[in-house]
Amino acid sequence: MLEAQNISYAHRKFSILEDIDVSVNPGELLVIVGPNGAGKSTLLSVLANEMAAADKDTIYFKKKTFKEWSNRDLAHSKAKFSQSNSADIPLSVQEVVLMGRYPYFSSVPQKADIDAAFTAMEETDVAALASRDYNSLSGGEKQRVHLARVLAQLDNEVENKLVFLDEPLNNLDVLHQHRILHTIKKFTQRGNTAVMVLHDLNLAGQFADRVMLLKKGRIVAHDVPANVFTREIISRVYNFPCTICANPLNHNPLIIFGT
Amino acid sequence: MQNRLSLYLLFSFLLLAVLVAWSMYSGVFVFEKHSFLEIFSGLINNDGSIDASERFVLMDLRLPRIVMAILIGSALSVSGTCLQGMFRNPLASPDLLGITAGASLFAAITIVLGSYIKPYIPEALHYSLLSIMAFAGALITMVMVYRISTRNGRTNVVMMLLSGVAITAIGFAVMGLLIYFAKDEELRDLTFWNLGSLAGATWTKCAILAVVIAVAYSMLINKGKALNAMMLGEHDAQHLGIPVERIKKQIVILTALMVGTTVAFAGTITFLGLIVPYILRLIFKSNYHFILPLAAVWGSVLLLTADTISRTIAPPSEIPIGVLTAFMGAPIFMIILIKNRNQM
Repeated sequence: MLEAQNISYAHRKFSILEDIDVSVNPGELLVIVGPNGAGKSTLLSVLANEMAAADKDTIYFKKKTFKEWSNRDLAHSKAKFSQSNSADIPLSVQEVVLMGRYPYFSSVPQKADIDAAFTAMEETDVAALASRDYNSLSGGEKQRVHLARVLAQLDNEVENKLVFLDEPLNNLDVLHQHRILHTIKKFTQRGNTAVMVLHDLNLAGQFADRVMLLKKGRIVAHDVPANVFTREIISRVYNFPCTICANPLNHNPLIIFGT
Repeated sequence: MQNRLSLYLLFSFLLLAVLVAWSMYSGVFVFEKHSFLEIFSGLINNDGSIDASERFVLMDLRLPRIVMAILIGSALSVSGTCLQGMFRNPLASPDLLGITAGASLFAAITIVLGSYIKPYIPEALHYSLLSIMAFAGALITMVMVYRISTRNGRTNVVMMLLSGVAITAIGFAVMGLLIYFAKDEELRDLTFWNLGSLAGATWTKCAILAVVIAVAYSMLINKGKALNAMMLGEHDAQHLGIPVERIKKQIVILTALMVGTTVAFAGTITFLGLIVPYILRLIFKSNYHFILPLAAVWGSVLLLTADTISRTIAPPSEIPIGVLTAFMGAPIFMIILIKNRNQM
């Protein structure tokens, strides 16, 4: 699905990523975690074809490099939710979400496009805001509008789609955090792939199929959550004491810091 | 949604047609025949019902001037709209960024030093030398301003405006020097660039402008969606399948071409690229799908109105059109500044 070997990235001689190998299978939800400055967002950007890594041709999406894809086909099967969303977009919420459908219509949105936008807005609970000014929304609401836009972009018949999400849960309340994660989980259960950066280790443990733990631009562990979230690894990487026990409800690893 | 845009465009074109008729009849010279049909059938049949002086005023003075107002108004406001999309800021317009200043600087240098260079360049280029130099000036300034103010796809608005100020300052300095050294005849030309006027309209200039605009619009006018997506940020626009780098290059080259040609033919007509998108934004917010095509028509409407007023308000003399547009544009510049106070 998505394969990359030996990804390295440096910014003005500062090495941010070193020799990272990634391989994600169809239907997999991969969560990237790590302390600040580990290179999580940079890795996501490189994988999503936003910046030229040292050796770009080593990233393969469905066996093709990004250069071999046409702009339109790529936009139909790959999308990214970014962390730094532009603050000033003087449009209505619906118009912003409809941007996700730009790869599908040439100048006028069809009924299918408007439907897809509304389905996505229902999914992230912003349908009630559809005609509001985007600029008048709160941080969490803006976040959900962009999530709806990304969902609308991938609402099509293509198989094995890929979505990148850079800290999609920032600014969201508990209800919406879980709602979004369930939506993404459903998306991957249909044979699609998601690569996501998260800060909340417990949510990562609960939803991820596999977890990649980064520190200082290198992979510390890349495995199923139960093998990554061990007391020894987590307290060493985060440099903070922790205890790990089984979540009494679903038996996923539950990490409690500070003990 | 498409129907709505076509409807707005239709209304705008109708308004423009009415304005053309109004502008044809306004002026110091009054036609003997007052019906539209009579004049045109007379012109086409050439049956002697229209006398030579009427024919001259209509065909060689008023009509080329009207056509040129339409073309230049449209070109300037579309340039402004495209630049605003690229810089992601409603203040980006050819004059505030110094692009007009860069173009007229090169034009001025060509006027004063032209007689020295002319022997060394091929005959065919003499006539278009001014336009080519103005285009070069516009292009160089635009690339400079973009390089200075934008890093990693993010534009620093203060840097953008200040580099425009700096370039305009250089323009003023050189212009002052040129005026000091200029001969009388060149001096008149120079004043003309500074104030802007459509009085020099000819059919040849109109034809050149029309070709430039046709080329530019064929690539730019359907970029509304792309400019909308670029509001998300360049990376996010790319994820939507928008070829951001290619579109930016097209905008830089084509707006430089349009601004350069207008400056060469009509001097510096300021603020048009600011006023028209501003008015359209009041109605359509920042949806470039609407404001880009509508700017093309409303730029014509505004400049034709301004030009007709400028040549009829104080007969028999003319007010320079740049003065009129500046009177409209400067307050709008102020309003946008105040609105954007928090983002500076």
